[in-house]
Amino acid sequence: MVQAGELSTPRRSRTPRAAHAGGRSRHAPRWRVLAVFLLPAVLLYSVFIVYPLLSAFDYSFFEWRGIRQAGFAGLDNYRDLFGVYPYDRQLWRAFAHNALFFAGTMLIQNTVGLLFALLLFRYGRGKRFLQAAFTTPYLVDPLVVGYLWSLLLNPTFGPVNALLEAVGLDSWALPWLGDTRTALPVIIVVNAWQWVGFPMLLFSAALAGIPAEYHEAARVDGASAWQAFRRVTLPLLTPAIGVVSVLTFIGNFNAFGLVYAMAGSTGSPAGSTDVLGLLFYRVAFVEGGVEAIGRSSALAVLMFVFIFGVSLLATSYFRRRERMLV
Amino acid sequence: MRAGRRAPGRVAVHLLLWGYAAVALLPLAVMLLNSLRPTSEIFTAPLGLPLSPTLRSYARVWTEASFSTYFLNSLIVTCGAVLLGTAVSATAAYALARYDFPGNRLLGAYLLAGLMLPIRLGLVPIFYLMDSLGLIDSLLGLTLLYAASGVPFCVFVLSAFYRSLPAELDEAARIDGAGEFRIFGQIMLPLVRPALASVMLFQFVPLWHEFLYPLVLLRSDEKFTIPRGLSQFFGEYTTDWSALFAGLVLATAPLFVLFVLATKQIIAGLTAGMSK
Amino acid sequence: MRYRRLPALAAASPETRKARRRTRWIAGAVGALALTLAACAPGGGAAGPGETADAGKVTLSLWSWRVEDVKAYEKILAAFEKSHPRIHVEFKAFQATEYNNILATGLSGADGPDVAQLRAYGGLQPLVEAGQLVPLDGKVDALSGFDPKLLEGAKGHKDGKIYGVPFAYQTLQVLYNKKLFADNGIRPPATWDEMIAAARKLKAAGITPFAVAAGPDATWTLPIVHEIFGNARYGSTKFRDAVLSGDKKFTDPGFTASIKLIKDLEPYFPKNVVAVKIPDVQALFATGKAAMYPTGSFDLAPVLQANPSLEVGAFQVPPPPGSPVSTPVTPGWADGSFGINAKSPHQAEALELVKWMATPEFGRLYATELKQLSAVPGVSPSDPLLAEMAAGYAAHGAPYMLLVDFRYGQPNGDAVFRDELQKMLAGQTDPAAVAESLQKGVEQWFKPGN
Repeated sequence: MVQAGELSTPRRSRTPRAAHAGGRSRHAPRWRVLAVFLLPAVLLYSVFIVYPLLSAFDYSFFEWRGIRQAGFAGLDNYRDLFGVYPYDRQLWRAFAHNALFFAGTMLIQNTVGLLFALLLFRYGRGKRFLQAAFTTPYLVDPLVVGYLWSLLLNPTFGPVNALLEAVGLDSWALPWLGDTRTALPVIIVVNAWQWVGFPMLLFSAALAGIPAEYHEAARVDGASAWQAFRRVTLPLLTPAIGVVSVLTFIGNFNAFGLVYAMAGSTGSPAGSTDVLGLLFYRVAFVEGGVEAIGRSSALAVLMFVFIFGVSLLATSYFRRRERMLV
Repeated sequence: MRAGRRAPGRVAVHLLLWGYAAVALLPLAVMLLNSLRPTSEIFTAPLGLPLSPTLRSYARVWTEASFSTYFLNSLIVTCGAVLLGTAVSATAAYALARYDFPGNRLLGAYLLAGLMLPIRLGLVPIFYLMDSLGLIDSLLGLTLLYAASGVPFCVFVLSAFYRSLPAELDEAARIDGAGEFRIFGQIMLPLVRPALASVMLFQFVPLWHEFLYPLVLLRSDEKFTIPRGLSQFFGEYTTDWSALFAGLVLATAPLFVLFVLATKQIIAGLTAGMSK
Repeated sequence: MRYRRLPALAAASPETRKARRRTRWIAGAVGALALTLAACAPGGGAAGPGETADAGKVTLSLWSWRVEDVKAYEKILAAFEKSHPRIHVEFKAFQATEYNNILATGLSGADGPDVAQLRAYGGLQPLVEAGQLVPLDGKVDALSGFDPKLLEGAKGHKDGKIYGVPFAYQTLQVLYNKKLFADNGIRPPATWDEMIAAARKLKAAGITPFAVAAGPDATWTLPIVHEIFGNARYGSTKFRDAVLSGDKKFTDPGFTASIKLIKDLEPYFPKNVVAVKIPDVQALFATGKAAMYPTGSFDLAPVLQANPSLEVGAFQVPPPPGSPVSTPVTPGWADGSFGINAKSPHQAEALELVKWMATPEFGRLYATELKQLSAVPGVSPSDPLLAEMAAGYAAHGAPYMLLVDFRYGQPNGDAVFRDELQKMLAGQTDPAAVAESLQKGVEQWFKPGN
C-alpha cells in the first residue's frame, strides 16, 4: 500500500515536476553502467522466482506419480478440475466465495478505512497512536489472528457472545463460525480488522495530498460537509481507491492463512467458507494423492491467469477514470 | 468528515476511534495473557486471566527450544533478505525510472510479472532448484529466495519514487561532471530514503512470519528460524499452547518495536512528495 | 493473501500492457538461462548428515511427523544404539500437517532421511509410485509374522510389495469417564437402547453425553465417529467385501441407515456441534463435563496428559437395531510404518534399523514409552485400557473401510464423506444424499473387483 500513495501522488502534487518531467529524463547511459544497475536484480529474480514459476506452469501439463513425471498430459489436469466430482463443484463454489470475500472486504474494510482516514485527518492529540493501533494487527501472522478470533468467537466460552448476552442481545449470540450463514461474513470482518490500517494509511496520505484550497472553495460555495466530500474529496481520491481495489482483489483471491485458521482446510462449516486458496491447499498438500502436483499446478495457473487478467482490466479502468477527471 | 464543530459529534468520534483502538489491540492481549498461563490451564479454559502468572513457558521456549538461536537465524535471514532485496531493487528501479535504453519498459514489466502468485505454488520447483544449487539446509538459500521474492514489490514502489524526482537534479550533476554511480549514490538514493524505509518494513513483516519454506528447506536445529522452531510445538494430536504463545509473543515483540520506531518514517514515506 | 503482493499493481502500469506480448518469450529465455545456471551449479551429491568424520560410525537420519514424541523416541533409539554401537540415529520431527510434502521433497534431495515414518494405505502411494522407497520383501524376515491386515497399510497398491515396517495400529471405540458413570448409576451399555438411555440420563443431569466435534479442525473425525457407531449397522467387513467386489454400493440401505444414526445421535452431542473444535471436546471430556468420547486409541494419551487423574474406561458400541452383525465391532487401521529412502547412502545401516523396528524389543519400548498399540506381533500393551482395546480389536476387529480402501484415488472416500457428514450436521443434507455423494465421489476412480 505504500506505493499506492506514490501512485496517486504525482497527479495531485502541486509540484509540476512529478511524473512527467522526472521520470523521463531520458539519459542514455553506457550499457556497462546499465548492467551494474540492473543485472543483480534481474538475476536474483529470474533464478529464484521466474524459473520456479515457469516450472510450475510446465508441471501443469504433465501427469504425475508422486514426485515423478509420468508423461505429457496435455490439458488433462485442467479437465480434471472442471470434470471430476467433487472438484468441479468445489471450484465454482470457492470462486463464488472469493468473489463475496472481495465484495465484502471492499464494503467493510475499505469504507471503514476511508472513514478512519477522514476522522483522523484533522484529529489532534493521539492521532499517531491511533494510526499505529489500527495498524498493529497487521504485525501478527494471519494464522495466529485467525486462531485468536476463533477463541474469542467460541460459542461456549468466547467473550463475544458473553458480552452480547450481558447487554441483552441473547438472540445475537450465535455460533458464529459454526453457522453456514455467518461464517464467511465473520471471516470477512476479521480480515478487515487485520488489514484496515492499510486503506486508512493510504487514504490518509491521499487526503494529505489534496490542496487545502479545494476544501475552502467548497465551503465558500456553501456546500455541506457531505456535499464537499461527495463532490470534491471523493473524486480526488479516485486513484487511491483504484489502487486499494486492485490490491484488495489480489489479496482476497489469494486468501489462505486466515481462512485456514478459522475454517480449517475444508472451509467449515459445510464448505460455506471454502475459497480457492483452501482448494489449492487441499489438492496440493492434503488429499491430492499421486496426482497432486499436476492438478494443483493447473489450479494455480488458472488462479494466476484470472487474477492477472482482472487486475489488468481493473487498472486500465481506473486509469481511464483518472484521466477523465483531470 | 470534519470531526466536528458540535460537541456531541466530537464525543462520538472520540468514542468510535478509541473504542476501535481497544478492539484492535484486545486480541493481542489474549496472546500475551495466555503466554503467562500453563498449558493445562489453557486446555481447560482457553481464555482467562493468568491467576498465577508464570514465566516458565518463556524460560522453556528460550532454553529447551533454543529460541535464541532461532531468533538470531530469523534476524540474519530476514534482515539479509530485506537488505539484499531492497539494495538490488533500488539500483534496478533507478535505472528503469531514470535511464532511456531499449527494452526499458519490457524489463520493467518482466520484473513485475511474478507478483500475483502465492509463493506456495512454487514449492516443488523451488525445492529442486535449491537442491541443485546445494542450498538445502542453508540460511543463504533461504535468504536469496526471500530477497528475490521482494524484488517486484520494491522495484515497483521505488521506481515510482524515482520518477517523481525532478529531472534537473541529475542533469545538473552530470554537467558538473559527476559519474553515474555518484549521482545515484549521493544524490538520488538519499532522496528516496523514506520510501526505502517503508519498503523494507513491508517486506520484513511477512518474511518474519513465513514458515513453509523453512519447513521444507531447513534440516538442522541450529539453522531453524523462529516460525520453523515454533512449529515444533504443534503435535499431531496435542499442542503445547503455553510455549507456543510465549514463542509468538517473543516473535512478535520485535515487530512492534520496529513498527513503532518506523511509523514516522512510514508516514513520511507515504506522504513524501505530496504536501510540499 | 498478503499485501506484500500488492504490487500486482504492476500490471497496472500502462506501459506494461504493450510490452506484455513480448514479455512472454523474454521470460521464457530468462527461465532457460536460469535453468542452465541451475544445472551447472554444484550440488546434488552434497554430503548427507550421515557422513561423519568419526571413523566407521554412521549417523542415520530418521524423520517423523510425531513432534510430540521426540523425547520418547530418543529413549527408544538409545536402546538401538546400545546394541548397534556403530550406528547413531538422529530423530527429526516435522509438523504433521506439512509432513507429506516435506518427506516427498526430502526423499528426492540432498540431506534427506535415511529412514522415514510413512503414512499408511493411500498416503503411502505417492512415494511408492515415484520410486522413492526400498521394497522390504525378503529383507526383513520378521514381517512374515505381522498381522496381514496391518501389512496392507505398508504395501504398494499396484505392485503389492511391502515398503515399511508397521509401527502401530489404532482402534476405534468409546472412552468413558468412570466416575461420571458411577455417579449417575450407569454401566457400560450392553445394548444400543441401554446406551441411548444412558445418554438421555446424562443429558438430563446437565452432562454432555458424547464429546463429538464437527468444527473446522474436526471434520476428519466425523467418519471416525460414523465408524464407531455405524460399523455394525452397515454390516462391517462383509459390507466392505461386497463394496470392493462391486456387489454393493454406498447407497445400500444399510449404509444409509448407519449414516442416519449420526443424525439421530446429534441431540447427545455438544450444542452447536458444527462450531465445536477438537481441543474443546478433549477438554470437555478431560474435565468431566462430557461422559463419553467416541474416538481412537490415539486420543488416550492426550486426554490423560490433560488430566492424569481421570479414570477412563472404554467400551465397544453395541450393535444398533437392525444390524446384520450381532457382536460389537472394533474398527481399526494401521497407523503407518517405517521405510527406507531409496537414495540413502547407508542402505545397510538403514536396513539394520528397520529390522530392529520389527523386533519385540522395539515393540515393547514403543508401547510403554508412547502409550500406543504396537504393530509388532506378540507385544501386548502394559496399559490395561490399551490392552482392552487391543483385545477388542483382536476378537472383533474390522477395517475402517474409507481410510483403508478408499484413499487410493482422488477424491478420497473419507474426504467426501467427512464434508457431507458435516453438511448433514449443519442441516443442509440428509443421510440418503450423503450416501449418494460418497458413492459418486469414489466412483470417479474406484473400479470394483481389482
